[in-house]
Amino acid sequence: MKISRFAKATSLFAVSALALSLTACSASPAPSESKPASTDGIDVYVIGGMPSDPFWGVVKSGAEAAANAVEAAGGTVTWLGPQNYDNLGPDAGKLVDSAISAGAEAIVVADWVPDAENEAIKRAVAAGIPVIHYNAGGIEQADATGALTYIGADDYVAGVAGGEAAALAGAKHILCVNTVPGSANQEARCAGVADGAAKHDATGEQLPLPSSNFGNPTAVANAIKAALTKDPTIDGVVTIGVQDADSAASAIEQAGLTGKVQLGTFDLSETQLNRIKDGTQLFAIDQQPWLQGYLAVSAAWQYAQYGILPASRPVLTGPSLVTKSNVDVVIAGVAAGVR
Amino acid sequence: MSTQVKKQSVGFGSLIRRPEFGALIGALAVYIFFAIAGGAPFMAPGGSASWLNVAAELGIIALPVALVMIAGDLDLSVGSVLAASSMTLAILSGFYGLPTWVGIIAALLVGTLIGIANGYIVTKTNLPAFVVTLATLFAVSGLTLGLTRLLVGSTAVSMTADPTTKALFGTLLDGKFSVAIFWWLGVAVLVSWILYKSIFGNWIFAIGGDVISARATGIPVAKVRIALFAASGFGAALVGVLQTCMYNGAQVANGQSFVFNSIIAVVVGGVLLTGGYGSTIGVILGTLTFAIVNQGIYYTGWNADWAALILGILLLIAVLTNNTFRRLALSGGNKKEKKN
Repeated sequence: MKISRFAKATSLFAVSALALSLTACSASPAPSESKPASTDGIDVYVIGGMPSDPFWGVVKSGAEAAANAVEAAGGTVTWLGPQNYDNLGPDAGKLVDSAISAGAEAIVVADWVPDAENEAIKRAVAAGIPVIHYNAGGIEQADATGALTYIGADDYVAGVAGGEAAALAGAKHILCVNTVPGSANQEARCAGVADGAAKHDATGEQLPLPSSNFGNPTAVANAIKAALTKDPTIDGVVTIGVQDADSAASAIEQAGLTGKVQLGTFDLSETQLNRIKDGTQLFAIDQQPWLQGYLAVSAAWQYAQYGILPASRPVLTGPSLVTKSNVDVVIAGVAAGVR
Repeated sequence: MSTQVKKQSVGFGSLIRRPEFGALIGALAVYIFFAIAGGAPFMAPGGSASWLNVAAELGIIALPVALVMIAGDLDLSVGSVLAASSMTLAILSGFYGLPTWVGIIAALLVGTLIGIANGYIVTKTNLPAFVVTLATLFAVSGLTLGLTRLLVGSTAVSMTADPTTKALFGTLLDGKFSVAIFWWLGVAVLVSWILYKSIFGNWIFAIGGDVISARATGIPVAKVRIALFAASGFGAALVGVLQTCMYNGAQVANGQSFVFNSIIAVVVGGVLLTGGYGSTIGVILGTLTFAIVNQGIYYTGWNADWAALILGILLLIAVLTNNTFRRLALSGGNKKEKKN
């Protein structure tokens, strides 16, 4: 999962206070009567990130594509997202409770903060609602809550793939730029990058950037430039999101290190792909978010309606490494909003 | 308001009583701090570019915001205005392929119109600007997101500016210094002229000092406040344009850090949150202080986990210094009688 830029809006005290009061209103305790006799279809509730997050926009597109099939069978798909990421775990837990009380017949939920969310998810499972974890939490948390399965990527595995790719391309000292320090997912990614690099005699190091640079590519770019200037042995940069990758590309250019410092990133966007195509960026690690939204909603609906469930558990949607060799087909996907 | 129009005599005594002296000390102190801690890379042209580039964009927003604050209002909507204007540019010129200048004019118009809307609502309803602009902060970000997804189907839009526009708005001179620095200088000159050379400047101080007497003396209070919100929207939109040209695209989430950072820069620069007091040089110095602290930490080689802590402490010290000198500035020295 990627809470990158939004998670950093923690400085908006007033905003979070308002959002808290909003979610507090919407979160009612789970009623005992949780399954209203709906018509013939299945009402699927999806708890995901903010739709304004580019990453979650793609997940939502996947969910909407799957929703066509659900709706054709007479059901509905409802997307529930938090107002912001300041209080993500409790907010997501409340959204699960909201889904239960709204009469969900299947729930798809990202288990970002298991400590805060699992209780609510267990309430859904106890009420007999099929639950599928996706995007975050892994199969361990799905086992812990009694959910059917986990559909998503493994951040650590993805990080290892990135670290290896950078090291194999010749990088010896790789900087993992973490603009959401403290987030378990991003820490796992950076840890993976370091371990992947270590497999090929390179070292990985983390550069945590604070929330005061939230949504400001200039501040992030200049901070990365400073780190590159300060330590000339750094010859590889891996960022946790696409906007940070754009900032890092600018930083490498500003530091006059084009060609000397390799760039790679988690997640995809058109500009990443253009850089990969023209050779100024090494790779982008795709966890295929569209597939997460699509598969999770389909699986939840299919199980609730027909008892169909994929046998492989967990269902991994990534990592898929985009490099110069496969960039063209991916570019077409980004233009369509599915990658 | 009488404090603002007093003549400043030359000499050290009056120098340290100027409103921006505290801000100057603050900026110098953090620069020296990081020059020692960061060493040669921080003082090299590349290091200076780091904080100047950050300061330039923040300053373009902070200066008009300072005018709004001197007049006694607040503008929290700048974060969403930046996102809305950069999205306007990216969608028109990137997605629909219109000429870049069309997108830029539309982007600046969007920012200005949101500002006018802010000012109109504030003056018509008499609600605090804090609440109104907080509402527009939300509303505009929602509108930007909704329209972007409706029109483009994604939340990040790429745009390649034509060469002339790229040179004007999105290049790095010598591969280091952003052209935003020159835009910042331009805005600084313009804002200084408004504040010190035009009748409008006196009105701003008067409204911030005491809005009731300002109205009684015949100042068109509502028009001035609306104009100031429009200017603040324009400043945020200009930074949206600069960032979109520089980073070849826009994201709906951009800009939110400017909401508080611009207020911090203005307050560190010696503008009173209650209005009626402040100077452009002070705000420029406040912006520099913030940018130096924001970027300097990465030249120190210290564990960046502590960056936000150091940022907070240094800002607090800067404001305290500033306050001390402002008290000095407002207490005695010159013969004229003063308030406070």
